[in-house]
Amino acid sequence: MFKKTVTYVIINLVLIVAFMSCTKAVDFNQVNDFKITPVFESSLVYLNEPASRFLVKGNEINIVKDSVNIDFFNNQFNADHLVKAEFLFETTNSINRAFQVQVDMFDTNNQLQHAFTFTTDASPSNSDVKNEHIEVFEGNALTALLNSSKFVFTLYILPGVPIDNTTVGSIILRSKAAFYLSIENTL
Amino acid sequence: MRMIYLLFIGVTYFSFAQNKQLLYGFSDIPQALLVNPGGKVTNDWYAGIPFLSHLHVNAGTSGPTVYDLFAKDGLDFNMKLETAIYSMNSSDFFSANEQLELLSGGFAFGNSYEKTKYLSFGLYQELDFIAYFPKDYAILAFEGNQNNINRVFRASDFNASAELISVLHVGYNEKVNTNFTFGVRGKIYSSLVNINATKNRGYFVTQNGINNFYDHIFNLDLEVKTAGLASLTNNGSNTDSTIKTLKKRVLFGPNLGLGFDVGFTYQLTKQWSLDASLLDVGFIQQSKDVENYKLKGNYVFEGVNPLFPETGTGQTAEDYWNNIKGEFKDLFQVDTTNTKYITWRPVKFNASLNYSFGKKKVKECNCLKTESDYQNRVGMQLYAIKRPKQPQLALTAYYYRSLFKGMQVKAAYTIDSYSFSNLGLGVSANVGNINFYVMADNFLQYQNIYNAQSVSLQLGFNYIFKKNEN
Repeated sequence: MFKKTVTYVIINLVLIVAFMSCTKAVDFNQVNDFKITPVFESSLVYLNEPASRFLVKGNEINIVKDSVNIDFFNNQFNADHLVKAEFLFETTNSINRAFQVQVDMFDTNNQLQHAFTFTTDASPSNSDVKNEHIEVFEGNALTALLNSSKFVFTLYILPGVPIDNTTVGSIILRSKAAFYLSIENTL
Repeated sequence: MRMIYLLFIGVTYFSFAQNKQLLYGFSDIPQALLVNPGGKVTNDWYAGIPFLSHLHVNAGTSGPTVYDLFAKDGLDFNMKLETAIYSMNSSDFFSANEQLELLSGGFAFGNSYEKTKYLSFGLYQELDFIAYFPKDYAILAFEGNQNNINRVFRASDFNASAELISVLHVGYNEKVNTNFTFGVRGKIYSSLVNINATKNRGYFVTQNGINNFYDHIFNLDLEVKTAGLASLTNNGSNTDSTIKTLKKRVLFGPNLGLGFDVGFTYQLTKQWSLDASLLDVGFIQQSKDVENYKLKGNYVFEGVNPLFPETGTGQTAEDYWNNIKGEFKDLFQVDTTNTKYITWRPVKFNASLNYSFGKKKVKECNCLKTESDYQNRVGMQLYAIKRPKQPQLALTAYYYRSLFKGMQVKAAYTIDSYSFSNLGLGVSANVGNINFYVMADNFLQYQNIYNAQSVSLQLGFNYIFKKNEN
């Protein structure tokens, strides 16, 4: 009796499912087309210093230099997904001297990968003078960025009226990076 | 990435809910006592056919369907994905429930003249899963933060829990008088595996900064608690050993809990009746094999000042940068703890108001007319379940009919979080002493199963003995 019932039920279930449940065409391989392209922005370097900061014992210094080791770029995720990067540097100068910033990028073997400079105009009237520089990393420059793990920043004070205790104004640097990612299906 | 993907597809495809609107009040089926321990009993004793007496699976998503994403319609997949992401919000969910009864039985007792008491018992296995759509995480991954300056990305959008348990239960049902029946069921839960990430807090936001373009504010308090999982994912474990371990845990596994169900049926008039039940009021103490992963930290990043670092004197830019790296490392440092925790079972509430009509024509005698002699019944049912973010509700209108001896059907229309067009049908048939029932949901969506927001199926076989067959 039990066996008979089970058989009866199973046959009916199969029939129910066969008649009732239909599907329309789906294509799960569309997953392979998966691609997202987020853009992340991050603050980079900054400084905000009065003219007096460029005096050591009453004498003007015309170079300030330092380096940082950054292993942020040099990794597999960025190598796979970073398609473009853009660094924006914005300077606001009210000192009557022009400045130049040089950025040198080195790999782990201390080989120079990429370098760029940008300048800031002097401000004779001590009003804010704004300059902008955009460094775009694509192609070879992007490869260079991905190889870089050490950044050397050098701030040159370009020739002009000497800075002393009476020099007014300040130099402000703000910067940010935009990272364009492309993450595709890796299934 | 691959994991997120599989998860996304997985939850979209195999999602379940647990409303048993067709079984509720279907007193011809012994398992109706599992959804209302105070329901009417119509048999003298029964025994569930082991492993076949009750299987319940119910698939659903309140968000887009498989068809929305994968239809072969020539549209760009990423456009469809984008539409899906933007159409959902953080209270949309994918939820899963599956129950398999291993053993069950019941018998009436009391004085020999009229047995008004009924004892039922059994052991079933249950899988319960819910994941909310992590909207803010999805938007951040999809767009990035560039176009979302000042947008607060909430960490609480990551909210999910899963449990695999077995339940050993004994229920008592008593028909106090012709109008009132009540019942209680005690439950011992044995947790096989538990994963709980429902208490995430914090946020990430990018704001316009003072010293630099942006301040990136990280305020994170995330935790994923697990019990019974660490020993399964140890090195050296494989599918076979995992199944073996899980089998051992079915009866009195490492983490136990207690709970109860209560319910009643009240006959308002000969034709009107009211019933209600509260299920799974209980907890599980997750104390053994516990491994929790916690990420907690606050940090505001505004970039670095390499030339004139403002940290302590004598510190080089390198030291300063290392400090920042340290802060980030601490921020994203995942701590593993073994702190015990308690999980509460998802409490369920059912209630219904019913009206019976259409008397059966009985030739011989018309003396003992009771409610069960009506051939038709209509009613409204309310169902609610407590979920991590908010309760989910469903409202059902149904029609029940006793077709002929030993065959009953129930048709139901349900409105819930999944859809407004859920038609379901349930049949219970007795062939000799064998009772078989099958119930399925969302018939309208069977035209294209991939486009179904939810699909449920319940079926089972019992051996039923009745003294007074109608």
